[in-house]
Amino acid sequence: MAETTSVKGKETGGMKAKRNILTVFSTALFAVLSFLIVYPLFAGLIASFRPGTELIRRGLSINLDFSTMTLNNYTYLFGNNVDGHKYFMWYKNSLILMLVTVFLTLLVCYIVAYGLTMYNYKLKNFLFFLVIATMMVPFEILILPLYKEMINLKLVDTIWGVMLPGICGASTIFFFRQYMSGLPKDLLDAGRIDGATEYGICFKIMMPITKPAFAAMAILCAMGSWNNVLWPMLVYRSAEKFTLPIGLNTLLTPYGNNYDVLIAGSMFGILPVFIIFLCFQRYFIEGMTAGAVKG
Amino acid sequence: MNKFKKFFYSQKAAPYVFVLPFIISFLLFWIYPLCSTITMSFQDIKPTGTEWVGVSNFQKLLKDKTFHTAILNSFQYMVLTLVLLIPFPMFFAVLMDSRLVKAKGFWKACLYVPALTSVVISGTLFRLMFSEYPTGQMNVITTALGLGTFKWLKMKATGLGALLLVACWRWTGVNMLYFISGLKAIDTAMYEAADIDGATAWQKFRYVTIPLLKPTTVYVLTISVYAGLAMFMESYMLWAGPDSPNNIGLTIVGYLYKRGITKNQLGYGSAVGIVLLVIALAINIVQLVVNGTLGKEED
Amino acid sequence: MKKKVLATLLTAAMLATTLAGCGGGDAGSAPAADGGAAEEAPAADAGSDDGAAADDGAAEEAPADDAAAAEEEIPTATFGDPNGTHMEMWTFVEIHGQHYGNMVEKWNEQNPDRTIEITCTTYPYADMHTKLLTSLNAGTGAPDICDVEIGQFPNVVAGLDTWLVPQNDTAAPYLDTMVKARMDVYSGTDGNYYGIPYHVGATVMYYNLAALEEAGLSQADVDAVVTWDDYAALGEKYLEAIGRPEGKHWTSVDTAGCDWQWIAMAEYGEDWTGGMDGTANVQLESVKKMCTMEQEWVNSGLAMVSPDGHVDLEAGFQNILDHNIVSFPKAMWYMSRFTNYMPEEKGNWYIAKCPVFEAGQKCSVGIGGTGTVVTQQAVDKDLASEFLCWAKMSEEGEQLIWDNLGFDVCNTVLWNDDAFAHDDNNQYNQFFRNYPYDVLYSIKDDIGTVYTTAISPTINEQMCNVTLNDILENGMDVDEALQAAQDVVDLEQ
Repeated sequence: MAETTSVKGKETGGMKAKRNILTVFSTALFAVLSFLIVYPLFAGLIASFRPGTELIRRGLSINLDFSTMTLNNYTYLFGNNVDGHKYFMWYKNSLILMLVTVFLTLLVCYIVAYGLTMYNYKLKNFLFFLVIATMMVPFEILILPLYKEMINLKLVDTIWGVMLPGICGASTIFFFRQYMSGLPKDLLDAGRIDGATEYGICFKIMMPITKPAFAAMAILCAMGSWNNVLWPMLVYRSAEKFTLPIGLNTLLTPYGNNYDVLIAGSMFGILPVFIIFLCFQRYFIEGMTAGAVKG
Repeated sequence: MNKFKKFFYSQKAAPYVFVLPFIISFLLFWIYPLCSTITMSFQDIKPTGTEWVGVSNFQKLLKDKTFHTAILNSFQYMVLTLVLLIPFPMFFAVLMDSRLVKAKGFWKACLYVPALTSVVISGTLFRLMFSEYPTGQMNVITTALGLGTFKWLKMKATGLGALLLVACWRWTGVNMLYFISGLKAIDTAMYEAADIDGATAWQKFRYVTIPLLKPTTVYVLTISVYAGLAMFMESYMLWAGPDSPNNIGLTIVGYLYKRGITKNQLGYGSAVGIVLLVIALAINIVQLVVNGTLGKEED
Repeated sequence: MKKKVLATLLTAAMLATTLAGCGGGDAGSAPAADGGAAEEAPAADAGSDDGAAADDGAAEEAPADDAAAAEEEIPTATFGDPNGTHMEMWTFVEIHGQHYGNMVEKWNEQNPDRTIEITCTTYPYADMHTKLLTSLNAGTGAPDICDVEIGQFPNVVAGLDTWLVPQNDTAAPYLDTMVKARMDVYSGTDGNYYGIPYHVGATVMYYNLAALEEAGLSQADVDAVVTWDDYAALGEKYLEAIGRPEGKHWTSVDTAGCDWQWIAMAEYGEDWTGGMDGTANVQLESVKKMCTMEQEWVNSGLAMVSPDGHVDLEAGFQNILDHNIVSFPKAMWYMSRFTNYMPEEKGNWYIAKCPVFEAGQKCSVGIGGTGTVVTQQAVDKDLASEFLCWAKMSEEGEQLIWDNLGFDVCNTVLWNDDAFAHDDNNQYNQFFRNYPYDVLYSIKDDIGTVYTTAISPTINEQMCNVTLNDILENGMDVDEALQAAQDVVDLEQ
C-alpha cells in the first residue's frame, strides 16, 4: 500500500533482516513518542492520588511511592462537601450543555446541509459560498461584538448565549453536505411519488440513511462542547452555571490553588470524552478527517 | 392561508425553509458582529458614551509596542507550529501506514488522547511541569543533566518552547490522522507503477506521496495557520491569565481579550480584531492564488 | 444502532452524575449544590490584572484552606430583619459579607424603625467586577451595595454619579478621625467620595526576629535601622553570620508587584499617576533610586527575586516558611497571611517601620484596598449609604474589622486606644512579637499616598509584566527600562 511495501514474494534474506530492524526501530519510535505524549497525563493521574501540598513541594513527577498515594482527593471530590457539590454541579452543567448543543447543532446543520444538497436552485452556490466564508474568519475576532450582542439580546449568562453562535457550524454543515452528496437522489423522487412532503422526505427518508454522518459529527461536536472554554467563560457570569473547564479554572487563584480538587477533578473530567473515544474511535477519525481528504 | 400552506410545501420553497436557520444565524452571528467589529474599531466606547474617533485606534496600534510584541509572538508561534506540525506528523503517518509498525491501533490512540483534553487541563499540567521551582518536572530533568534550574516561563525562548511543546503535544496525533486518511486515498497502483520503474523508497515518497498528499497538506496548513494566529487559551492557561512576564506569551487574541474584555475598551479591542481579520484574509487570498483550487471545486 | 448506544451512554452518564450530585447532600440536594456555587475563590485571571500585590483586595480572605471550604457555606447569606428594607450586597471575599451580616444585626437593634435585611453574595473576583460593570452599564441588575477592589475602582468610578451614590454627606460624621488619604483614593474626578475603605494598608517591614537572633542579631539592631543603607548593612551582617549559604537571602524583591516603588514614591512625596488630574510619569527620582537599589541587591545576593513575582502567593509563603528570606516590606494586612498560611511562624516575627532613603522622610504608604460603593440602582439610597458608612467607619464597625479581618483600620483615634490596640485576645497581637498598632501609631503622620487613577492599571501592568522583569531578571539598565515604560504609558494618555 504505502511506499515501503516491497514487491511481493521477491524479498531476499538480507532485505528481510533489514525490514525486521526497521520494524523494531519504527515501533520503538512510536513507543517513545506515545510515552512522551501520555506522560503528562499519567503524571497528572499519579498526582491526583496525592495531597495537593505535595504537588507544590515535589512538583509534577512520576513517583510511584504507593505509601503516599491515597484516594483522599477522590473521596473528597465525591464526598458531601462544598467542593464536591460544586464539582458535580459543573459536571452536570457541562453534560447538559453538551447534550443540548449536540442535539440542536446536528439537527440544524443536517437541515441546512440538506437544503444545500438536495435541491437545485439559484442561490444554492451562493449560500454554500457563504458557509465557506464563515470558516475564513477566526471566531476569536467576533468575540467582542458577539459578547456585546449577547448582552443586548439578554442572552448573557444563559445556555442559549453559549450555544447559538456556534449552532450553524460551517464544518459540520460541510461534512453533512459531503456525505449527502454521495446519497442517491432517486430516493427523493420515490418519496414524492409515494406522496411524502418535502419535509417528510427530509426527516423520514433521508435522515435515517445519514446516520453514520450523525454519529461522526455527534462525537466531534460533543468533544468540542465539553472542552470549550473561551466563549462560555465570557457568556457565563453566575458561578452556578459554570461548566467544568471554567469551574476548574476558578480553582486556580493567586491566593491558594485548590490542587486537591483541581487535579483529581481534571482527571475525572477527561473520562467521558475518553470513554466515547474508546467506544467510537472509528467515527471519531472519520469525522475529524473528512475535511482533510475531500476539502 | 391555504395558498401559503401550499407554497410552504412546494418543492420551490422547501430548500429556502431548510437553509433558513443558516441565513438567520449568518446574519445574526456573523454579518452583524463582523460589521459591528468594523464600526467599533472606529469608536471609543466608554461607560459615559460612545464617540467616533476615526482611525485613531489604528494609529495608536501602529505605535503600540505591546501590540507589536503580540503580533510577533503570534507569527513566530504560527510559523514554528507549521515547521513542527506538518513534516513530523507526515513522517509518522507514512510510517504508520506502512507495514513496519506493530500495534498501530494502540499507538494511534495514545497519540490522539491529548486532543481529547481541555486546554484548561493540559495547560495546568504543563504549567506545573514548567514551574520555576527545583521540583518542577523540567527542572528535575535539567538538574539531572547537570544544567541547573531554569525559570522556564519567564524567558522568551523557553516560554515559546513551552507553548510549542503544548501545541505539539496536542496536535501531533491529530495531524497524523489527517495524513493517514490522506494516504489511504492514494491509489496503490501509483506505488506499483513506481516499483516497476525501480524507484527507491525516498523517490516514491518524494514523487508520489508528497504530490498526491497535497490536498491534505493544504488543509492541515490552512487550519494550522488559523489555529496558530488565533492561539490564546494555551498561553492563558500556561501563565494562568492573559499576562506573562515581558509579554512573552502575549498573542494577538490575548491582546484583544485584554483590551476588549479585561479593560473594557471595546473600540481598541475591535481594532486589534480587524488587524487579525486582515491578516487572515490576506493569508487566504495568497493561498487561493497559490493553489487555485477552492474556487473551481466548491462551485 | 451505534447512535442509540451513544445516546444511552450519555443519558446514563448524565443520570449518574445527577445522582452523584444529589447523593452527596442529605439535607436537600438542590440548595446544597447551589451552596457550592458561590463559594468560589477569586477566578484565576484575578491575578492577572491585579497581579500587582498592590491590590490586597482579592486576597483578604482565606477560603482556600480546606477546613474552611469543607464547612457547609452558603453562597448567598441573608442577614437581618425579613420585614426590613431588603438590600443586595456583592463581594468577592466571603468574610467581608459576614462583616455586613454582623453589622446589620447591630444596626437593627439600634434602629428598630429602619431595619434592614441584607443578602450578601460572594462571586469570584474577576467575575464580580465584570458582572458589576455589565449591570451598571445596562442600568439594571446591579446590587445595592458592592465591594470594589482598588485596582478595578477606576473602571467603576468612571460612571461617577450616574452609576454610584456620592457618600460625602453620610461619611461626614466620621471624616475627622479617618485617614483622609484613604477616602481620597476612592473619590471620583468630580471630587466626590464614592467608596468607603476597610483599611489603610500601611506598609511596614516584617522581620523574622527568631532567625535574626539565631544569627546573633537582636531587636535593638532592627530598631536601629533608619535608612535603606542601614537596612542593607544589617542584611549583609546577617548573611555574613549565617555564612551566605546558597538560596538564603535577606529579602526578596518583586517583579509582579509595585510595592517597593510605591514605598519609594511615598518617601519622596512623589506619585507616578500624577494625582487625580495630572500626567502620569514613571521616570521619577524615587522610582529610579528604588529600582537601582533593588537591582544592586539582586546582583550582590542580598536579595532574591520573589518566586512567582511577589510574596503574597503560595510560593512566597513557602519561601518565608523555608527562611529563604527573613525580612520584607508589606502592608499591614499581610498579617492575616501569617495567621492563615504560616501559623507555624507564630512568635517569630517582628513588625517595624520601613526604612527610608533619607532620614525624615515619610516611611509608609497605603497599599491595596477595597472600597465599598452604593449604586444608583439601590432601593433606598439614603439608608444604604448611611448603613454602609456606619458599618465601615463607626467604632463598632472598626472593632469588628480589626478582630475578624485583621486590617489596620482607618479611624486613627483607635490606634492608641489601649482596649482596642492592646487586646491580648486578638490573634494578631498574639502572633507577632510586638503590638502591630504600636508601629502603626508611631508612623501615624508618615503615611503617604499614591493614587489609583484611570492610568493606574496601565502603569501597573507595564511595571509588573515588563519593566520590573527587565530590571531585576534581565539586568536591563534602569533608565532604559523606565523610558520604555513611559512610552507605553504615554500612549494611553
